[in-house]
Amino acid sequence: MPPFAHEALLWGLPIVGLPVLIHLINMLRHRRVEWAAMEFLLVSQKRNRTWVLFRQLLLLLLRMLAVATVVLLVARPLLHNRLGSLLGSTQTHHILLLDDSFSMSDRWADTSAFAQAKMVVNRIAAVLAQEQNPQTFTLLRFSRVTQPDRGTRPDLLKETVDTGFTTRMVETLRAMQPSQTGNGPAEAIEAIGQLLGDGRQERRIVYLISDFRARQWDDSTDLRRQLLELNAADAEIHLINCVDRAHPNLAIALLAPTEGIRVAGVPWFMEVAVQNFGTTPVRDVPVLLEEDGHARASVTVAEIPPGRTVRERFPVHFPTAGQHEITARLESDAVGVDNVRYGTIHLPIDVPVLLIDGGPDARDARYLDMVLAPGGSIRTGITPQIETAAYLNGTRPLDRFGAIVLANIERLDIAGIESLRQYVAAGGGLAFFLGEQSRSLFFNGTLYCDGQGLFPLPLGEATVLPVDRLERGPDLQVAEHGVFRVFAGKRNSFLATVIVEQYFAAADGWEPGPDSTTRVIARLRNGAPLVIEHRFGKGRVLSFLTTASPVWNNWARNPSFVVAMQDMVAYLSQRAAGDISHRVGARLQLELEAKEYQPQVRFATPGEDVTPTATVDAVRSPEGVLVASLSETDVSGMYEARLTRTNGTTETRRFALNVEPEEGNLAALSGPQLATRLDGVDYRYEQADAFQYSVTQLGGYDVSRWLLYLLVVLLIGEQLLAYAASYHPPACSRAAEGGVR
Amino acid sequence: MMSDSRRFLHPEAIKRISRLDLRARHVVEGFLTGMHRSPYFGQSVEFLQHREYTYGDDLRYVDWKVWAKQDRYYVKQFEEDTNLRCTLLCDVSGSMQYGSGAMSKYEYGCTLAASLAYLVLRQQDAVGCVAFDETTRITVPLRTKRNHLDSIIQAMEISGPKNKTDLYPILRNVAETYPRRGLMVLVSDLLADRLSLFKGLKLLRSRGHDVLVFHVMDDDELDFPFSGPTRFEGLELPEHLRCNPRALREGYLMALGAYLEEVRRGCVRHRADYALIRTSEPLDAALAAYLSSRLGMHRRN
Repeated sequence: MPPFAHEALLWGLPIVGLPVLIHLINMLRHRRVEWAAMEFLLVSQKRNRTWVLFRQLLLLLLRMLAVATVVLLVARPLLHNRLGSLLGSTQTHHILLLDDSFSMSDRWADTSAFAQAKMVVNRIAAVLAQEQNPQTFTLLRFSRVTQPDRGTRPDLLKETVDTGFTTRMVETLRAMQPSQTGNGPAEAIEAIGQLLGDGRQERRIVYLISDFRARQWDDSTDLRRQLLELNAADAEIHLINCVDRAHPNLAIALLAPTEGIRVAGVPWFMEVAVQNFGTTPVRDVPVLLEEDGHARASVTVAEIPPGRTVRERFPVHFPTAGQHEITARLESDAVGVDNVRYGTIHLPIDVPVLLIDGGPDARDARYLDMVLAPGGSIRTGITPQIETAAYLNGTRPLDRFGAIVLANIERLDIAGIESLRQYVAAGGGLAFFLGEQSRSLFFNGTLYCDGQGLFPLPLGEATVLPVDRLERGPDLQVAEHGVFRVFAGKRNSFLATVIVEQYFAAADGWEPGPDSTTRVIARLRNGAPLVIEHRFGKGRVLSFLTTASPVWNNWARNPSFVVAMQDMVAYLSQRAAGDISHRVGARLQLELEAKEYQPQVRFATPGEDVTPTATVDAVRSPEGVLVASLSETDVSGMYEARLTRTNGTTETRRFALNVEPEEGNLAALSGPQLATRLDGVDYRYEQADAFQYSVTQLGGYDVSRWLLYLLVVLLIGEQLLAYAASYHPPACSRAAEGGVR
Repeated sequence: MMSDSRRFLHPEAIKRISRLDLRARHVVEGFLTGMHRSPYFGQSVEFLQHREYTYGDDLRYVDWKVWAKQDRYYVKQFEEDTNLRCTLLCDVSGSMQYGSGAMSKYEYGCTLAASLAYLVLRQQDAVGCVAFDETTRITVPLRTKRNHLDSIIQAMEISGPKNKTDLYPILRNVAETYPRRGLMVLVSDLLADRLSLFKGLKLLRSRGHDVLVFHVMDDDELDFPFSGPTRFEGLELPEHLRCNPRALREGYLMALGAYLEEVRRGCVRHRADYALIRTSEPLDAALAAYLSSRLGMHRRN
């Protein structure tokens, strides 16, 4: 007997006797008629007895066969022999798409989602090995889909199933672990389509073995379209869920420095965010912190409501310059990978700031120098350098400066302007302060350049702000911005003490365009723009339309000026800090000066302290720099690139790679929820643990279609026979017509 | 059960057929002057023929004009009209008890007979009745009185009908009981031995009777509309049959058709008028249609 997809339904076979039972009941429930013309009835009965009996038996047999066919149709018998191959395609291609995103590392009891998935794959393989029909097998993990520089790399591609297949599969699966990527099923289905073509010449069964997290299936439009396309290509789809229910999970969603100057020897702040993916609040969550591998005082998150993220700040202090590592960890829970987050940060000794002053006494620069580097025991980490406009002659490199401030300048050389443009376009920070020396003609013609230049707006004339004798409000009205953190909050007393007497007005009718990067972050009480921010290339430009020194305003005499200027430098010099981490799977890329470094770069992946994993030969780019990259970045942690300089010394650069925290959201979809999202898709949904009982169905030829045809033939035959046997009562009129007149 | 005449005499039907006459197609021997032809020559104005004079003929009928022309004696003969002697032969056997509609075959047949009796009495003719099943159950003599109708109706109210009809002994008995030629109206479902029927009809015709056969059948018997498992139990026969009627319908209708054809041909062969009447047909309509056609036939004769 062939195996059945739903063997339990074979218990329905006894209902084959239902037609006989109905017949017997009808015999018992016959009507009694006292009849006069018995003579003719007896003649008819005598004449037709054999034929009537034969037709009745045939009809009964057809009905019993129809019922049996319905039962078999529901139970779905599968042929594993040559007949099956004769009826169906000659080859069945089993395509297993295995979700190995890190949410599959979800643990409960003594198992995990990925262990369940491997069990399902093993069982499918074991059944296929017993098949007589030719079978091919493709296994593709989500993490191996369309990787940078590597393309899609299936674990098994069109592998012929033979007697040793089970052993090979066990060996293949043994080494498999959940990856730390967050790839979804859409990419895997897309990739398998590109890899295998339409496959009209073979029968395909696609198994999507996943944890069906709500995050990936909430917007299932593309997935539904892909599955419908598989349906259209006659592929059979099995969705196998490897998790029983959603488990609570915490993840570190963020580890990043807060705004401010980050230099060696100066304390600064970092921020850690913990996200609660569970359905109940959690309290007193300790976050363990490490600085350069050494544990430091942990922070505790008092309470995280369900589904929310809570941020905590903590101070960081590295006494030495260079690259430093910071790690934050949570205690173990359902998914471990997202409980740790790594970061690297390069701390300079200081942040050099170039102060160019066009005034004869460099008053603005001196004020700025005083607030940026007060001296004495106070260390801000900023090292100002005061120069005149002549310093910007295009011959001096500006890259070493974290930020450049142009205060009260009258004019600049063309070469100086060009070097400034290059500096800002490459990510440098620039600030303007206007003053008595400033001329709108120069600014508009050379720096504004109809919106293409470094200066964000066309200037009008220097304007005096009338005194507000009624004192209806502060002169300065600031937007929410990192530079003006000191003015944050309602009833801020600093704001009222700032008085602006003179400023450069914007040209008549100027307002930043809605799509431009230009934004007014501070205005005067008359609505005139005072501080404007805009982007130029990768860099930032802040333009103050008044003086830095207390000539046109009194801000420099205000304590808030100190904080604001330091924040301004921190804001403008963020390029120097760079990103402290990358996402798992992202390609690591190094750009090296060909003159300084040898092209061989040795990369070490996390956990390999001694022997680097790969040595990469850097490629010289058209710009003349050496570019070395590493694509094998599937594991989170600290990566090292060990460089050798041309003078023989070595240098190590570290990169922190972290998982996508959203993948730690373990909210899963149930079968009915999935059905609503996949309306119209023909698929079978099964739980991995229940899958073991129906595993025999996976091979062989499903003869359901043939049974359906047989059922149709049987039902038509039954109706024709019943009609021929006059079991269909005619309408009254037809009865009268058929009678004897 | 109604015991008065209203059971079998429906005023509406009587009203519709009251204008019709029941005429004998053949000559009948009545004892009164009536509207039917008599085999005897009498005092009528209708000249029939000349016949050569024989000894004993009444000299009043000698045609003297012919004697003057041919010197031979001829007597004139005239057609005599007489009254009708109508005998209603009502089948009250068990098979007549079947009925699927408002009336059973028995009730329909009795109503038919009562209506005819009314018609005959109304035209001053004599009517009698014989109710029979396997034997003659009751005989009502011929009378012309109007109140004779009640006697006929009471005679037809037979309780406890019995077995299978055997018509020849009945008809032979009738032929002997009524030796003078008259109109014999047989109202039956004729579910009996056909040979016996034809033998009886032949006997009646040989005795000079004008014979009408009203073959009363129920719609169910003619159409056989049954479906679903059914047990048929014979009203006259002891057999029973459990079957699906739809399966046997075709064979049944074929056998019934052959039977009806045989009956019709037998009646024609023995010069008996035959009418198949469904119990679902309105009695007045069926009777009016038949009597009208019969009147037409009479005039043709």
